[in-house]
Amino acid sequence: MKLPYQCIEVADRSIDSGNEWLLFGASGSKLIVQSSTGVQSVWPAEEDEVRHINRDDEPEEPPGKRVKLSPAANPELNVSCVTLSSDKQYLVAVTAEDKCIRVFQINSEYQLHELSQRCMARRPCSIILTPDDSTILCADKFGDVYSLPLLPSPDDEEIETPQNEQTEPVVEKPYAPAASLLTVHSGRNRKTLEEQLKQASKGPSKPKEPLKFKHELLLGHVSMLTDILYATVDDRSYVLTADRDEHIRISRGLPQAHIIEGFCLGHEDFVSRLCLSQSGLLVSGGGDASLLVWDWFNNQLIERLPIRDSALSYFESNPQLTSILPEDRKNFKVAVRGIWDLASGETTKYEILVACEGIPALFQFTLGDRSKPGAVISLNGNALDVAFLGSSENTRKMIVVSVDNVHKPGSTTAVRDSPHRLQCFSRQGNGEWEENSGVAQSLDWFSRQAPDGNDNAYAESNSIASDTKDLAAVRAILYGLENLRKRPGAED
Amino acid sequence: MAGEPAKRQKREAYRQSLTTEEQNIALPKKKFYRQRAHANPFSDHALTYPRGPADMDWASLYPAHAVEKTGEGAGDDESHDRDRDDGEKEKGKTITKPVEIADIGCGFGGLLFALAPKLPETLIVGMEIRTSVTEYVQEKVRALRAQNAAPNTAYQNVACIRANTMKFLPNFFAKAQLAKIFLCFPDPHFKQRKHKARIVSYTLNSEYAFVLRPGGVVYTITDVEDLHVWMRGHFEKHPSFERVSEEDEAADECVEVMRMETEEGKKVERNGGRKFVACFRRVEDPRWP
Ligand SMILES: C[S@@+](CC[C@H](N)C(=O)[O-])C[C@H]1O[C@@H](n2cnc3c(N)ncnc32)[C@H](O)[C@@H]1O
Repeated sequence: MKLPYQCIEVADRSIDSGNEWLLFGASGSKLIVQSSTGVQSVWPAEEDEVRHINRDDEPEEPPGKRVKLSPAANPELNVSCVTLSSDKQYLVAVTAEDKCIRVFQINSEYQLHELSQRCMARRPCSIILTPDDSTILCADKFGDVYSLPLLPSPDDEEIETPQNEQTEPVVEKPYAPAASLLTVHSGRNRKTLEEQLKQASKGPSKPKEPLKFKHELLLGHVSMLTDILYATVDDRSYVLTADRDEHIRISRGLPQAHIIEGFCLGHEDFVSRLCLSQSGLLVSGGGDASLLVWDWFNNQLIERLPIRDSALSYFESNPQLTSILPEDRKNFKVAVRGIWDLASGETTKYEILVACEGIPALFQFTLGDRSKPGAVISLNGNALDVAFLGSSENTRKMIVVSVDNVHKPGSTTAVRDSPHRLQCFSRQGNGEWEENSGVAQSLDWFSRQAPDGNDNAYAESNSIASDTKDLAAVRAILYGLENLRKRPGAED
Repeated sequence: MAGEPAKRQKREAYRQSLTTEEQNIALPKKKFYRQRAHANPFSDHALTYPRGPADMDWASLYPAHAVEKTGEGAGDDESHDRDRDDGEKEKGKTITKPVEIADIGCGFGGLLFALAPKLPETLIVGMEIRTSVTEYVQEKVRALRAQNAAPNTAYQNVACIRANTMKFLPNFFAKAQLAKIFLCFPDPHFKQRKHKARIVSYTLNSEYAFVLRPGGVVYTITDVEDLHVWMRGHFEKHPSFERVSEEDEAADECVEVMRMETEEGKKVERNGGRKFVACFRRVEDPRWP
């Protein structure tokens, strides 16, 4: 079984003979590339993998002989985010398990050449690049946003303790607890203090290794971050961040990201996705029944788009899906996985496409026109990601959709095995979406054959066990959103 | 948590033993409201909070300062919810002036009750994450107001709400709404691992800066020197704040109240401990680059 593509991205490039596109996909621990001209590549390359396995067999090998960057992906790792630089020269990926940000150069043979690995202290949830491609912004699970140079300069190699780190300065003096018995009032604090003293007598505990690369704390929420955007309006730039506690925050862009300009408050459940429409409006979605459309500049809610109702009627109109609906329809909930601007080119009509977790369809909405239910693109597997092919920014007429081939449509747990990991659609003159078999054919290798992290010596030796193990890991990456819903404990 | 219901029962039994008149004016007894010292600011408490400042019902917290709404959306000009189609009833009352002082982590409210008579024209709110402690302060507000019944308006300018300010401060206050924020004797969270639970950090300071107006002040006090150094460090490196000079600090009556009237301040005083004060002024935002 092939693992699905958890993320896909497209780069349009102009070449001598016109335009071409490159499709990138992350499947398990692998990154797959295919161009419109038919060139294919896989990272890590096969020989790297062999080297990796050999290395594990010979633990005696002196560490000095190891290459600095192990190009071979560890099959235990799963890529959770992928983004491209606007010049299409670089790809940035995050591997979830080791919290690592990896920067790749896309070379002229369409191969990915790994330039750096920077493992963060907290798991990155969303990464973007600033419009000038100089800086990565990494939004993490603990609510903080860090900036890192895309390409670390040699001067940055020095151990840097970032400016605004939440840690205390390293104190050289012998350990003295911050509290004295005079300051400690509660029994609990006293216990902590006693523990500290005990610990101190055993010698200083090893502090957490500081990150050895340049990174700066820009801003932070006390909540898990789910998405981050960079926006520029009239020469002013902004950072937009969304969190699990219903907030959307608007901060100034670099270098004044510590200044909060405002909040877009109105969600009643987690926010998981932000999308800037060409109209200038912001669309946000998450665990609520509606998507919210914002004049974010003025923190004004403009309208609500009924995503849950659209999804529910899609389920109800489809016999296979109706059976998995909860008896009480009130318990049917959606979690928004993706929102994409359709940039129709018409300046009077702004459309978006929306994917929800575990739902085999894409839902189209027109901003400012919620009276009319939009088109629904029915898929043969749960929607995972969408990328636009061969389109300049204002005519998004051809899409590639990554679909979940290992879970049954409409389910995030029931397993199946379907060979197709991609579906392609193009938009007809009448606005309808139709499956495009020509493009699908040209992406057949990408869809059905390209390796995932699974086809390697490890997996083959113990295929079933590793399949199930990988599936659990993949499921955790593909279907994490429902976990963001709050289940308030009794804790007070 | 265990023990809470028992405390509540005892509290009820005690209240039942009083006559209605006594009930009305009796100050609550702390022993019925004590609660474990720490609440985890990261967990999903069963908290209620407004979706945003425009949805906050301040009028029922400060009834003496509430008036009937006149016309559509009056006094609610920052309502960012034109599209309110969720059937939520528009509150009939609105407040005549915004809350301007917040005591964050107010505990049993010593500072609130000392400040309220000194700043009778200003609305003050205490914010506390622990339920029982919040209830104590609310009961005390109610009793003090009853003792000072109309036309006397004492304590009509003070209220307390349960909130996790580390997550939800911007749900309560609009940009530049506050003139003063008090952070008195915050929980020190001695363990390194728990430093993100501290109520002061570079990133949280951005939120304090957001709700404070330029010229507004954050007051901090603690008896833990390391925490003092920490708070100072995190405010001093935040470009939206500058340290208030010692002269200005000495001239500010709120500093003395904070030193002497907070529960913790009194406790430290009794034990002969030291108190470290630092105040920070919100500066104007710089021009856009
Ligand atoms: C040591 S007490 C100080 C009480 C009071 N300010 C005084 O000086 O007497 C700290 C208080 O902050 C409260 N607290 C801690 N984290 C909080 C949060 N995130 N939001 C609101 N209150 C919080 C605690 O429950 C506790 O009552």
